[in-house]
Amino acid sequence: MSARTSRLAGTLPALILAAGALGACSDKGGDPMRQYGPSPWLPEPTQYLLPPMSVPRAVGWKPGETPAVAPGLKIRAMASGLMHPRIVYPLPNGDILVVESNSPGSKPFRPKDYIQGKVKARAGAAAKGGNRITLLRDADGDGIPELKTVLVDRLHSPYGVAWVAGNLYVADTDAILAFPFTPGQTRITVPGVKLADLPAGPINHHWTKALVASRDGSKLYVGVGSNSNITENGMDAEEGRAAIYEVDRATGAKRIYATGTRNPTNLAVQPGTGTLFAVVNERDEIGPDLVPDYLTSIRDGGFYGWPWSYWGNHVDVRVHPQNPAMVARAIRPDYGLSSHVATLGLAFSQGETLSPGFAAGAFVGEHGSWDRSPLNGYQVIFVPFVNGRPSGAPVPVVTGFLASDHRTVRGRPVGVALDRTGALIIADDVGNVVWRVSAASAH
Amino acid sequence: MTGAAREKEAKLLHPFFISLGGTLLMAALFTDFMYSSNGLMQWSNFSAWLIIGGLVLALLSAIVLATEVALGRAGTIRRLDFILLAAAVVLSVVNVLVHTRDAWTSVVPTGIMLSAIVALLLLVAGIRGWTVTAPRAPVRQSESWA
Repeated sequence: MSARTSRLAGTLPALILAAGALGACSDKGGDPMRQYGPSPWLPEPTQYLLPPMSVPRAVGWKPGETPAVAPGLKIRAMASGLMHPRIVYPLPNGDILVVESNSPGSKPFRPKDYIQGKVKARAGAAAKGGNRITLLRDADGDGIPELKTVLVDRLHSPYGVAWVAGNLYVADTDAILAFPFTPGQTRITVPGVKLADLPAGPINHHWTKALVASRDGSKLYVGVGSNSNITENGMDAEEGRAAIYEVDRATGAKRIYATGTRNPTNLAVQPGTGTLFAVVNERDEIGPDLVPDYLTSIRDGGFYGWPWSYWGNHVDVRVHPQNPAMVARAIRPDYGLSSHVATLGLAFSQGETLSPGFAAGAFVGEHGSWDRSPLNGYQVIFVPFVNGRPSGAPVPVVTGFLASDHRTVRGRPVGVALDRTGALIIADDVGNVVWRVSAASAH
Repeated sequence: MTGAAREKEAKLLHPFFISLGGTLLMAALFTDFMYSSNGLMQWSNFSAWLIIGGLVLALLSAIVLATEVALGRAGTIRRLDFILLAAAVVLSVVNVLVHTRDAWTSVVPTGIMLSAIVALLLLVAGIRGWTVTAPRAPVRQSESWA
């Protein structure tokens, strides 16, 4: 090779390195505490060359290891060896239902999908779900179940459950099924009857269907996530998505109750007022501190921004065509939970069952980020309420899922619930454990 | 130029691979244009696949070219063609990253701009014959065949 040739050949790697460096200059996220509360700090959006991805490696819990809890609390495993538990649902008789589930899977559309799927799998997100509901029976209430048995299986990516008037409603990814069920029963053998179809395939990007019953039990509310991060699967795919549905329990008739909620991963009815609240996962890839996930009360007919805007009227330029009329309508959520925490769990407290500090408010499970550095979430927090509204700084309740060096993760919290004794039950879909947190003085 | 020399040139393989990859990269300008005009995401997905395909063929072309140079089958590297193609490859690496963005900004404005520059560079390289090396001097024995 001549001197000239080798000089020319030398420029190519140099140019590629320069391009790579351009892409690698991704910024670090700031203090998440600035983004909790009614008015989170919002930086300017950025556009990336390299999609930001940062996930710890899933390692699980060694025998005897547990998450850490706030002072005055204790924690122990109620069940382990589960298949990707997502939701925990205590029944009036004390039995606890554990929904073991994962995404039904989707086909890649473009080169990026292959890479992103592999990265998320590192943190345990691709583990196979059980497609079943396991029942835990702790009749004496000491936190150690005497019975662990499969209540119903062969479900289709189930997520939300609700027991109302002799029926157990299960929100599969594509339909609500009703199973005749009396608490005390340990096995369901009859097939479920479909109450209503839910938006699902063929893409089904956000597959979970959160479910909660209204106070009087006449309606079921269902959270349906968007079919993309930010409409990159096309607007047609978003028909009826990113919304909260109201389903009439008697007839199965459904209507859209609220829209613009990108991924309403869990719903809860506020004790006392009966107001519907949701935790919503917001959009990715416009910065480590954009956009904060949120906890908000849901208004009938309310529109919460997605896809055209976030946190009220902050326009997202990635959506085309833009829609100023909808942006003007967008409601600002009640309470920011900081960016990319992936809130999946929501449960209102029931008085001072765990500690006086947790008398009024909501427990929120933060599954943890996959596209932010430093990592964010990976904990269960308590959001205090004042006069029925979320207010003030959050309190970490259960932490220690993530190793202190942020390189490995032992578990990731998903659904949260309070059992009949007021103990906090947590599904952990990487550790495959159900945790029970109670006051140190109690059982 | 003798018939034998032409025969020697015709045996070069790298222009074939460069023309394949170049065609895919130029086609991405069309699919980018379609997305920018009708907003249907599938056109942007097409662009991403075309650019990835073009880059894989660029890598293959580089390997073939290096082999031909190493075996002494090709003549000296022509500076202008090399620079045109290398610039197209580097810009396409950036472009495929831009195309990983979600929705509108995967194409408008940066993606389609890069696609247009790449198409222009490749148009010139294509008209010049998709060839990076100079024609090789006819080999000695060939003279007798002429």
